[in-house]
Amino acid sequence: MSAIAAKPGANAGSFQPIPSVIAIVIAIVLVAAAYFLGSSGILAGGAMFVLQTLCLIILGAALIAFGVHFVPVGGAPAAMGQAPGIATGVAMLATGAGLAGLFGGAWAAELGLGVALASGAIGGALMMAITCLMVNISYVFGMGIPAASGKVEKDPITGDLQAAYKSQGTEGHGLPFISYVGGVIGGLFGGLGGTLIYIELLNFYNAGLPALGFVGAADINMLSVGLAGIFAIGMFLVIAVLSAYNITGTIEGPHDPKFKRFPRAIVAAILASAVCGLVAMLVVALF
Amino acid sequence: MSVKVEASHDGIPHNKVMVIGAVISLVSLYIAIIGTVIGVDYLAFFGGFAAVGALIWGNSTIKKLCSYGIGTGVPSAGMLAFGSGVIALLFAATLGGISIWIVPVAGLIIALIVGLFLGWISNSVLNMKIPVMTRSIAELAAVGALALMGFGVVATGTVGFTGIATIEILGVTVYNASYIGAGVIAVSFMLGAIALQHPFNACLGPGEKQDRTNMLAIECGFLSMIIMAVISFVFVSLAAAWISLIVAIIGWFVSYVKYLALSKRDAAAWLDAKPFSDAEE
Repeated sequence: MSAIAAKPGANAGSFQPIPSVIAIVIAIVLVAAAYFLGSSGILAGGAMFVLQTLCLIILGAALIAFGVHFVPVGGAPAAMGQAPGIATGVAMLATGAGLAGLFGGAWAAELGLGVALASGAIGGALMMAITCLMVNISYVFGMGIPAASGKVEKDPITGDLQAAYKSQGTEGHGLPFISYVGGVIGGLFGGLGGTLIYIELLNFYNAGLPALGFVGAADINMLSVGLAGIFAIGMFLVIAVLSAYNITGTIEGPHDPKFKRFPRAIVAAILASAVCGLVAMLVVALF
Repeated sequence: MSVKVEASHDGIPHNKVMVIGAVISLVSLYIAIIGTVIGVDYLAFFGGFAAVGALIWGNSTIKKLCSYGIGTGVPSAGMLAFGSGVIALLFAATLGGISIWIVPVAGLIIALIVGLFLGWISNSVLNMKIPVMTRSIAELAAVGALALMGFGVVATGTVGFTGIATIEILGVTVYNASYIGAGVIAVSFMLGAIALQHPFNACLGPGEKQDRTNMLAIECGFLSMIIMAVISFVFVSLAAAWISLIVAIIGWFVSYVKYLALSKRDAAAWLDAKPFSDAEE
């Protein structure tokens, strides 16, 4: 049913200047509110620590929103071999890649920020690389179709001609090289952003929970891990779904015309993560 | 994007379903809180009714939102609902330090505020241009918060932050085996998100009927409650956990039998079309 109705309007892809400016202003107000809460001692750790945490959460969310646009999403048409991409929705794919990265990064959290971020990014990229490889194996050897893009004449990286391999009546099929590369880059950004949000929230809760009165047990870190983990998953899903709404269904990868819509998703991610991040940080507020 | 495809003619209008679902959910949560306050945990099974009430509401909202064709499939709406709902839920749970009575209403209000932001972003910044978008996403965030709160009550018997963040093992308070610390909340997150997005996703189409979709929502709610009741053996007393489990199994069985009957009712009407009868000759 949604496929019938999904006819984008004339200006569906255009940037919205006035709402975007309003969104950025609201986000700045929320960041300023966080700074004020930090300086007045309601949020533990001091004003600069609170400011840094929220800003890095916003940066992580922007990375996720940017990364989602690289992932080749085929949806239901791809399952029938009538469109290029991986045969599921944006939200599921981004969640798979991002959470794989998040778990990788969370495992390496005690080894320092750099190792954790690299581990998260590589975890997400690896997940997408394996997914793309298995998708192409099942397309080529299972369904007997070659990989061809319907949106470009030549593959932007390898220069291979696409039109000769494209079946008539389809928009292309399989995963061309550029889509594969896009998927890996998308996983890289998604895992990096998700891990950044997780690490920042983890450090924040480690500082904030003892001030709230949760002391006396040696395993306070486990509570921070649980809280930061579930918040990172929640925020990741919110950002991924908002980016999916921006793409409206399917995208082939970085060569798709829809890829140019990403500034709008980044603005959306900045405001959404400012709201969600502030509420998440208020969990350890001292009222 | 704002082309509306009518899913079905609803017997009960959306606003009425919303009020019914929200009232069932809030009343059940408050009954469970009475149990917490007087110090008994065998009222924990009311959390399951709270989750079912929230899911009925959310199911109707998803039906209304997805009749416009959001282009990303129905499951994304369920994920968005619980992603924003869990943030509102945990903030509301910490407000339980002030008074435990404000937690359900605070969760509802905070989720509505977060949801209004997200809905405005989708509609204006991302230019979705769907008339019910802002309201629907706000409602979905509230549904996510209430359903998660309900599952949390089934598992732990309480809605306060201390109750879901700590657990007493042999008289020692520890965090790493608690509802949050052990990651049980992630299980209830996924159970709730799938229970929210599945009913309409499974029933949508020309033959979609409101009573059948709602019955599937109730069935999914009780099915998730069975798993939460099994988990609750760790957190609440044995009697309370058995009560939750038996209530959940009875609720699931009754709703499943009714759903099956409704499916047979609607399926028989569909079979008369006989799409391939000519081709086989």
